[in-house]
Amino acid sequence: MIAKLRTLLPGKHWAITGIPYLWLLLFFAIPFAIVLKISFAEAQIAMPPFSDIVDFDGEVWNLTLNFLNYMYLLEDDLYVDAYLSSAGVAFKSTLLCLAIGYPMAYAIARMQPSTRNIFLMLVILPSWTSFLIRIYAWIGIIKNNGLLNNLLMGMGVIDEPLKILHTELAIYIGIVYAYLPFMILPLYTTLVKLDDRLLEAASDLGASPIRTFFTVTLPLSKPGIIAGSMLVFIPAVGEFVIPELLGGSEALMIGKILWQEFFNNRDWPVASAVAIVMLFLLLIPIMIFHNSEANALENK
Amino acid sequence: MSTSESQAVENLSPAAADSGKKHNYLQIKNVSKQFGDFTAVDDVSVNIHQGEIFALLGASGCGKSTLLRMLGGFDLPTKGQILLDGEDLGNQPPYARPINMMFQSYALFPHMTVEKNIAFGLQQDRVPKSQIADRVCEMLKLVQMERFAKRKPHQLSGGQQQRVALARSLVKSPKLLLLDEPLGALDKKLRTQVQLEIVDIIERLGVTCVMVTHDQEEAMTMASRIAVMNAGEIMQVGEPDLVYEQPNCRFSAEFIGSVNMLEGSLNEDHPDWASITCPDLNADLYVGHGLTGSQGMPCALAVRPEKISVSAGEPQREHNKFQGVVEDIAYLGSHSVYHVRLPSGFIVMANAMNASRHSDRFTWGDSLWLSWDDDAVVVLTS
Repeated sequence: MIAKLRTLLPGKHWAITGIPYLWLLLFFAIPFAIVLKISFAEAQIAMPPFSDIVDFDGEVWNLTLNFLNYMYLLEDDLYVDAYLSSAGVAFKSTLLCLAIGYPMAYAIARMQPSTRNIFLMLVILPSWTSFLIRIYAWIGIIKNNGLLNNLLMGMGVIDEPLKILHTELAIYIGIVYAYLPFMILPLYTTLVKLDDRLLEAASDLGASPIRTFFTVTLPLSKPGIIAGSMLVFIPAVGEFVIPELLGGSEALMIGKILWQEFFNNRDWPVASAVAIVMLFLLLIPIMIFHNSEANALENK
Repeated sequence: MSTSESQAVENLSPAAADSGKKHNYLQIKNVSKQFGDFTAVDDVSVNIHQGEIFALLGASGCGKSTLLRMLGGFDLPTKGQILLDGEDLGNQPPYARPINMMFQSYALFPHMTVEKNIAFGLQQDRVPKSQIADRVCEMLKLVQMERFAKRKPHQLSGGQQQRVALARSLVKSPKLLLLDEPLGALDKKLRTQVQLEIVDIIERLGVTCVMVTHDQEEAMTMASRIAVMNAGEIMQVGEPDLVYEQPNCRFSAEFIGSVNMLEGSLNEDHPDWASITCPDLNADLYVGHGLTGSQGMPCALAVRPEKISVSAGEPQREHNKFQGVVEDIAYLGSHSVYHVRLPSGFIVMANAMNASRHSDRFTWGDSLWLSWDDDAVVVLTS
């Protein structure tokens, strides 16, 4: 009876599905449109520091699209290099996260259900502290007279401090540390669903444990690998805080360039163009991710 | 336990009695399996003949699956030995055993096509590619699944998945095939058809097979011999008709089929007949063979409902006829089961064929006569 009444009430359904759409409109589509607009403008020394792309001369509306900002990105090697090196750092970090996260996720998924939750908690727990504080903490660990160097020197392993802070290594440490949970959780969810009987069937048919892993476990955890890799790769490409705090001044990452264009050069149009290009470059892996998700659903 | 053991060795099925077939092909010797304090399998010994289909039958939790898993190598016995064709399987892992299993819900690899699922076992043995292709083709043909070679398991019906699972477990020509509730996931109609198909395929290939089932009909249809299990022990081993008609204990009598169980004590014992006094019956029960026992010895009497005839008038026989009143009727189409209350209050189940379509059948409250032959009753003295 109540269910019947509900179907008669209009708009309920829309109210629920509408909320995420409204959210996306307010916090993604509109800001994106603004950034897109700025990327087609010209820099000005004014408030705001860019020209209007639309103006009205009394009779007609004029739309002026300025592609020079985009051309500029191609002309100056700095941007291309920064994109490539960001992608490179993100790619290597993703591989490192996968290499470290897979065994962890596998081990947790194979545990007793009661201990499983404790270990999952341990994976998630650090994210309850502020991201910024955790990155600052790493400075304290890896700096020249930090915890790590003091410990190693105290033990007599090394004579002089290892230079880790402000190197590429520090960036990798930071990114892998910060994004590892995003790799572990999706991997865990696919691995925990893995049917034990499939592993037994493989063993029964003559596959050693190692062969079973490569022929059954690994292919079946592919959705988790892809999801985890995307969740690490995409934010790592645009990462700003980690290279800024842990990396050296020579660390070339697109997030840092973006910051410099906005706040040091006050060239908002070029900065916006940098952001728009990054977004479109990231669409490629997102599409791959989406495709694989769709395939996985189809194969259910 | 020990009596059923010795029976097991003596009761050779006709198939296994063929010359050249080994009677002790698979030897399970005093095997026990303990999980903590719980004894899942308790000192089980049984010999399985080459080329036979042997069923482990029992309710869930009776240890039949654990025993099967020990044959496959997924669990190792706490005590005892398993020998296959004279070779001790010891602690060999599943992938080293010449044994293949068809899993309960098939456990087909969801990311592989039918073809690749079947080829998997051969690939592990590094069989040359061309041979794999031929062998897979052969197996697909055997289970009539050629048309579905390129499909993924989730695109198949339950019956088709079952065929693929069978093909996959047979492709390596195992020395021993294990079936774990092979038809549990199929609906009843399909099951009866597939049962005979599987038996046909297994017999054609001559592979020795141990199956686990809780379904007595399935066990009796498919197996050449059955072991009835209860609480980790084998209660009785024998051919289906022997286990049904000659149960050696209350448990196997009650587990397989339905049965009327009466308690009584031995009254007169002669070489070719005996009479038993039964408090639930108003006359002594007459048995057409002698018993070994003393007067007053307690015994249990098992009578199958289909061995009892139902009639309106008094039957022309001297013994084993009792009057009662119809209490309940279960109409099952081909036959009806009458629950008849005796004057003592004891309720006896009796089957009657519904041979004609419009006969005057008994109805509730009707008075009728129950009677049975002198050899219809199984006397269980232990």
